[in-house]
Amino acid sequence: MRELQAVLQDWEAVIGLEVHTELTTLNTKMFCSCPIGFGAEPNTHVCPVCLGMPGALPVPNRAAIESIVLAGLATGCEIMKRSMFYRKNYFYPDMSKNFQTTQGPVAFCMGGNLDLEVSGNAAGERAVLAGTRPTVEEGGYLTSIGITRIHMEEDAGKMIHVGGTDGRISGAAYSLVDYNRCGTPLIELVTEPDLRTPAEARLFLQKLRQIYLTLAISDCSMEEGSLRCDGNVSLRPRGATELGTKTELKNMNSFKNLHDGLAYEICRQAEVLEGGGTVLQETRHWEPTAKRTISMRVKETADDYRLFPEPDLAPYDLTDEFIEAVRARLPELPDAKKRRYIELWGLPAADADNLAGQPGLSTFFDEALTLCDKARPIANLLLNEVSAHLNANGIALAKSGLTPQGIAELAALLADDTISSKQAKEVLSLMIESGKAPSLIVAEHGLQQVSDSDALEAIVLEVLAANPDKVAEYRGGKTGLLGFFVGQVMKMTKGQGNPRLINEILRKRLDN
Amino acid sequence: MTGADYSSLGVADIQAGLAAREFSACELARAAFERIEAEDEHIHAFLETTFELALKAAQRVDEALGEGLVPQQIGALAGVPIAFKDNMNQAQTHTTCASRMLKDYVAPFTATCVSKALEAGALPLGKLNMDEFAFGSSTETSSFGPTSNPWDLDRVPGGSSGGSAAAVAAGFATVALGSDTGGSIRQPASFCGVVGLKPTYGVVSRYGVVAFGSSLDQVGPFGKTVADVAVTLDAIAGRDPQDCTSQRIEARFSDFLDAGVKGTRIGVVPAFLEAKGVEAEVVHATTEAIAHLEELGAQLVEIELPNAAAALAAYYVIGPCEAFSNLSRFDSVRYGYREDGGRDLGEQYEQSRAHGFGPETVRRIMLGSYLLSSGVYHMYYYPAQQVRTLITQDYAQAFEQVDALITPVSPRAAFKFGEIADPTSMYLSDIFTIPINIAGNGGLSLPVGLGKTSGLPLGVQITGPQFKDENIIRVAAALESCYPNIARLAPSLGEKRARFEGGVR
Repeated sequence: MRELQAVLQDWEAVIGLEVHTELTTLNTKMFCSCPIGFGAEPNTHVCPVCLGMPGALPVPNRAAIESIVLAGLATGCEIMKRSMFYRKNYFYPDMSKNFQTTQGPVAFCMGGNLDLEVSGNAAGERAVLAGTRPTVEEGGYLTSIGITRIHMEEDAGKMIHVGGTDGRISGAAYSLVDYNRCGTPLIELVTEPDLRTPAEARLFLQKLRQIYLTLAISDCSMEEGSLRCDGNVSLRPRGATELGTKTELKNMNSFKNLHDGLAYEICRQAEVLEGGGTVLQETRHWEPTAKRTISMRVKETADDYRLFPEPDLAPYDLTDEFIEAVRARLPELPDAKKRRYIELWGLPAADADNLAGQPGLSTFFDEALTLCDKARPIANLLLNEVSAHLNANGIALAKSGLTPQGIAELAALLADDTISSKQAKEVLSLMIESGKAPSLIVAEHGLQQVSDSDALEAIVLEVLAANPDKVAEYRGGKTGLLGFFVGQVMKMTKGQGNPRLINEILRKRLDN
Repeated sequence: MTGADYSSLGVADIQAGLAAREFSACELARAAFERIEAEDEHIHAFLETTFELALKAAQRVDEALGEGLVPQQIGALAGVPIAFKDNMNQAQTHTTCASRMLKDYVAPFTATCVSKALEAGALPLGKLNMDEFAFGSSTETSSFGPTSNPWDLDRVPGGSSGGSAAAVAAGFATVALGSDTGGSIRQPASFCGVVGLKPTYGVVSRYGVVAFGSSLDQVGPFGKTVADVAVTLDAIAGRDPQDCTSQRIEARFSDFLDAGVKGTRIGVVPAFLEAKGVEAEVVHATTEAIAHLEELGAQLVEIELPNAAAALAAYYVIGPCEAFSNLSRFDSVRYGYREDGGRDLGEQYEQSRAHGFGPETVRRIMLGSYLLSSGVYHMYYYPAQQVRTLITQDYAQAFEQVDALITPVSPRAAFKFGEIADPTSMYLSDIFTIPINIAGNGGLSLPVGLGKTSGLPLGVQITGPQFKDENIIRVAAALESCYPNIARLAPSLGEKRARFEGGVR
């Protein structure tokens, strides 16, 4: 098979995504009051409603409707004042009623979009920039991805097929069903076929995840399946307007798998088409270890789900008051946050982007800013030292014992040259270890940096006097020796000398 | 107290008797079971009796009476023997829906209408026979054998709540609950000579009642009198957080029993009386009832319901579609009838459902499955919903002009077992009741004596505006007073034998 980059020179890939997100931050299921949770004993979070016992009736969870409206408002969708639930009828044991309650032609949220800023390596996959706007960044571009709809539905239970081959129901000796997940509220976002590269698809999903996390509507864990993404992909020759036959790709349970699965599928389809074959409309399964997609089932005709309006649930009318109340709850979204960080606080674009995309970190950042306006040192601490520490130890910021107050104080100490950035790292690890305030740690460990220029000047003179030959060499043109002198001074200040001042004084003395 | 003494009692008689210590609630329960044991083998109204539960409930009522409470303080149905259609879940009892599919199914929870009746102090006698999953108009589709009409054992009691109507007519239960999707309360009430009320959709919670057509189903009471039906409805009506189609009900229906009809406007529908297939005795009985209302001071208004004729067609689209989906859960996996012989899951589904469901149920499921399939949906389901809107508008416009309507319930009196074998003819027996379910309004069947030709009970139907079911109670109670001498109870078995064997009607 050819490489993706080469394939995309000849072919245009048309990609649409379907993103399922469990609303894990809710307390109860979509249509009953069973708790939502991951990892409970099988079939303990169930009741007559989610088990579909005869006579049980659904009652919609208002908080779930609020969550989907939040998602819609955050992605530029129109919130439909009147929408309906529908029944999607099919037989499978993971769905206790043998129909899934979902939505029909009109979903709660219709017709939105997300703008993507594609830069760096990711931009390289898009050979032709039609429909995009170049960004200031070299090789980067902006593109807008349409969102067809976001609708509400209920999740199915989980099945384990025992015996037989590759965990499938056919040929299994028996199957186990856990209905704990059955009835968990799920929102499904469907994009327009506006994505053109696997990198765009990955970026879209990352951005959507950041938004959902900022809205706090889901924990968006791809590992635990609370964020799931299927891709529809087809190819057409560059310049063509008609769509090719698409395949539906499943099991892409990480950003990397989404990218690699789509990339493989694009190359596979190109090979089929270039060999004179035809792409079959089918569902394919991405196998990350084998790095290939395999056919799950060929769709000869569309499935007939006998969709009709759910008669147990009246049409759902959203009032203006409800929509406005939800809008008032809308937090600052990653894009706006990023702009604020750049424009108001002067952060470099990459740092601003990085912070804005991590709701926990950015909230922490904003709180620290209310105590100390040294934005760049705070951002640097959070994105570098703090993040590295959290990642290395696998702990969440909230559980690290760090407080915005502590980080603000540390940044202030850095900014006014009380400590060096090297010392800051030391103080930070002591803060995490002891939970003590940075000023206390600095005082206890005598970590202040020496910024007294008279004292430093004396030490500099002492060092120069002790090394007359090196001074001569430096003055003879070997300016690289500056580092040697800095090191000597640092040694004498036990590492607490202010490097900036030391440099300044050394230059003054050596260059004259 | 003997079973015969008990059988003629109404709710007010029971409450007066309990208050006066003429009998205890336990005596009532025992008398009810004496009556059931003596006669139900010939009628087969009950699929399950729950004597223990009734006795326990009776003991609680007797204890409360012993503490000095009067029956009304204990509950609106204190000491009143009641029985439930077998599509209503009652914990610890079977809920079979008269289907082999659910023959051994024991309910894990209780339907709201049942728990409200029990909280009101009613004594639960058991679960009543019905058409399988309520698909039918004669109780002949029950997987466990039909129920006989207490007035004539060779005839059907109507359906689908045939067991409920028969249990009241035979004097087994003072009141009973049924459900009505297209006439399943009103038609059997008419056939058995008792009062049966289908309230406006949303008056009684459907939670725990096994669904047939979710947008059409409504629970309602049977009783020997309008008063018994009104007080039972008071006990079970109202908003239920577990059924989001149920509504808050402000009215107390029993407050309207004595309101009379003087000055009310009552609609008559000439087209219904002239409809093809309506027996002369039905036209006669309805005309007579209309005359009574005029005598009582009601103003009569002729009403047209131009789209009502399309109701049957719309109903046989919407009903099967909803039923197809509602019955999908009966798949043999978690509960219910199962055949294990299949090679895979698909065969298990097919065999279990093919043999667990009876022929009428299979017919409705297949009909619904076809009507909802892609390409067909837009030819049937969608237009049916449009027709539904038109019929709803017809009734809304009619009730701008009148406070209630009076029409026949059924084109004819109870028919013999097997007499109507063709499903389409059977479906036609609900032409006057179905439009009301399509529109969502309430309707009541009031017995108006025995037919001139058939000698069998006939009813008239009183319908009212949506959520004005008190109008129905008011008109029905007034009209009831014009028939002081009609039998409130079917003849006992002994009387029946004498009557029919002697050839005298």
